[in-house]
Amino acid sequence: MIEMIKASKVYSEDVEALKDISVSIASGEMFFIIGMSGAGKTTLLKLISSMEAPTSGLIEIAGQPVHLLKGYKLARLRQKIGVAYQDFKLLTDRTAAENIAISMEVSYKKPQIIRKRVKDLLAALDLTDKHNKITGELSRGEQQRVTLARAIANSPAMILVDEPTGNLDAETTEKVIKLLTKCNKSGATVVIATHDDLIYRHTPHRIMELQKGSILSVIRGNGL
Amino acid sequence: MSFWFTVIRQVGRNLRQTWSSQLMTLLTVTLSVLIFSFFYLVYTNMLKWGDRLGDDLSLIVYLEEEPGPELREQLIKKITTFDEVEKISFITRAQAYQRFAEQLGQNQDVLNDLPKDFLPPSIEVIPLKNLRSLNQVKLFSAYLEKLPGTVKVQYGHEWIEKFYYFTKLLSIVMLLSGTLLILTTIFMVAYTIRLTILGRKDELELLKLVGATNNYIRVPFLLEGLLQGILGSTFGIISLYILFNWIKLRFSDPGYLTMFEFSFFPPTVSITIVGISILLCTFGSFSTMQKFLRV
Ligand SMILES: Nc1ncnc2c1ncn2[C@@H]1O[C@H](COP(=O)(O)OP(=O)(O)OP(=O)(O)O)[C@@H](O)[C@H]1O
Ligand SMILES: [Mg+2]
Repeated sequence: MIEMIKASKVYSEDVEALKDISVSIASGEMFFIIGMSGAGKTTLLKLISSMEAPTSGLIEIAGQPVHLLKGYKLARLRQKIGVAYQDFKLLTDRTAAENIAISMEVSYKKPQIIRKRVKDLLAALDLTDKHNKITGELSRGEQQRVTLARAIANSPAMILVDEPTGNLDAETTEKVIKLLTKCNKSGATVVIATHDDLIYRHTPHRIMELQKGSILSVIRGNGL
Repeated sequence: MSFWFTVIRQVGRNLRQTWSSQLMTLLTVTLSVLIFSFFYLVYTNMLKWGDRLGDDLSLIVYLEEEPGPELREQLIKKITTFDEVEKISFITRAQAYQRFAEQLGQNQDVLNDLPKDFLPPSIEVIPLKNLRSLNQVKLFSAYLEKLPGTVKVQYGHEWIEKFYYFTKLLSIVMLLSGTLLILTTIFMVAYTIRLTILGRKDELELLKLVGATNNYIRVPFLLEGLLQGILGSTFGIISLYILFNWIKLRFSDPGYLTMFEFSFFPPTVSITIVGISILLCTFGSFSTMQKFLRV
C-alpha cells in the first residue's frame, strides 16, 4: 500500500532529515517507526501524508505518487488517511466533539452518523465528559486522545499516528493501543511513530528504526 | 443534503465570527445600490421628460417686418435648405396679438391701451423629431438668426438648454455612482472575506490536511458573498422605493411638478440591478479566494 523508493528530505543544506529511505508497507499492516528524537520519524509521516514533498525519490500510495497529486484527487486521498499529528493541530476554540467531527464532515457524512461516531470514540478513549469542552482547556493527554479520535473517526484506510502516547499513563496508553489495534483488525493500515517502548515491546508487527535520517534496521517484533 | 447542511453551518459560523464587519459590508452594499439606483431613477425620469419636451420644441424667429408672400417663399426655401422641418408657420402682428390676448384670458383689458401691432411678426419653426440634440438646435438657431430681417431667435423655453446640461451632468453623476457601486461592493466583500479567511487560517489549513475539497472550503465563502449581494441590493432597492414614495407624496400637491410624472423602475430593471449586485459580490468573494485560498 505504501511504497517508498529512495525518498530523501532535505529541509536546508545542513538539515538532511531523511536519506534514501526505501520501505514498503503492506495494506492492512501495523508498522512501527522508532528512533531517537530528531531521527526523522515525523518527517517520514509527513512525506506519506503529502504534507511535505520529498526532495528526491518516490512515494506511492495505492500506486499513486502522492506528491504529484493536486486538488480534488489529493483531497480524496487525504480523506482516506487519518493523521494524529505530534503537535495535535486541534482547533483550540472548538469543543472536543467538533474537532473530531471535522474529519467526517469533509467527506459529507450524515450528521446523525457523525454524532454517534463521536460519542463512541470519546467513550472508548475515556473522554465522555469532555464532549462539550473547548479543546484549548483540556490537558495535554486529553488533547492527544482527541487528536487520535479525529484521525480515526472517518474510518480511514490508513492511519498515521505520531507519538500517540507521549503524555499518557500506562492505563490510558493501553486503551489507545487497543483502539488502534481494533482499527488495524478491521483492515486499516496503521503506522505508528514512537519512542515509547511500552507500545512496541511486545508487538508481533514490524518495527523500523531510524537513525539520523537513515534506516538502521527493520525487524519483526517477537510478539511475546 | 449533508453537503448543504455542512456548508450552511459553516456560513453561520463565519457570520457569527465576523458579524460586525459583515454588517458594515451589508450597509455599504445597500448604500451603494441606493445611491446608484437613485441617480439612475432620476436620470431615466429626466430622459422621459426630455422626450416630452422635445416633442413640443419650436423655434420662434422674430422678424422686423411682416414678410410679403414673395419673401415668405424665400424664407421657407432658406430654412429648408438647412434641414427638413416638420412645420413652418408665419405669425402676423395681428395673430400674435390675438394669441397674447388669449393667453391673458380674463386680464385682457391691460391690452386696451396698447396698439394692436405692438408685437413683432414671427415665424414658428418646428424642427424634425430627429433634430433633438441641443447642438443641432443651437446650430439651427444660429442659422435662422442670419436670415434677412431677423431680429431674434427664441427656442421654446429658455431652460431647455439648462435641462439638457442637467441631464448630461446627471449621466456623469450616474457613471460615477455606478463606478462607486462596483468598487465598493467588490472591495468591501473581498475585504470582509479576507478578514474571515485570515481569522480562520488554522482551521482552513487543517481542513485541507484532513481532505476538504476546494468546494468544501470555497462554497461557504461564495455563499457569503452571494448573501451580501442579495440582501444588500434588495435592501437598497426597497429603501429607494420607500424614498421614492415619500418624495412622490411630498410633491404631489396640485400645481407642483404636476407636469412631471415620476415613475419607478419597471420590475425588470430592479431585478437587473439586484442581479448585477449579486454578481459583483460573488466576484468579490471569488477574487479574494483566488488570492488567499490557493489549494
Ligand atoms: N520544518 C522543518 N524545517 C527545518 N528542519 C526541520 C523541520 N522539521 C524537522 N526538521 C529537522 O529534521 C530532523 C528530523 O525531524 P523530525 O521531526 O522528523 O524528528 P522526529 O524523529 O519526529 O523527532 P521527535 O521524536 O523529537 O519528534 C530534525 O533534525 C529537525 O530539526
Ligand atoms: Mg516527531
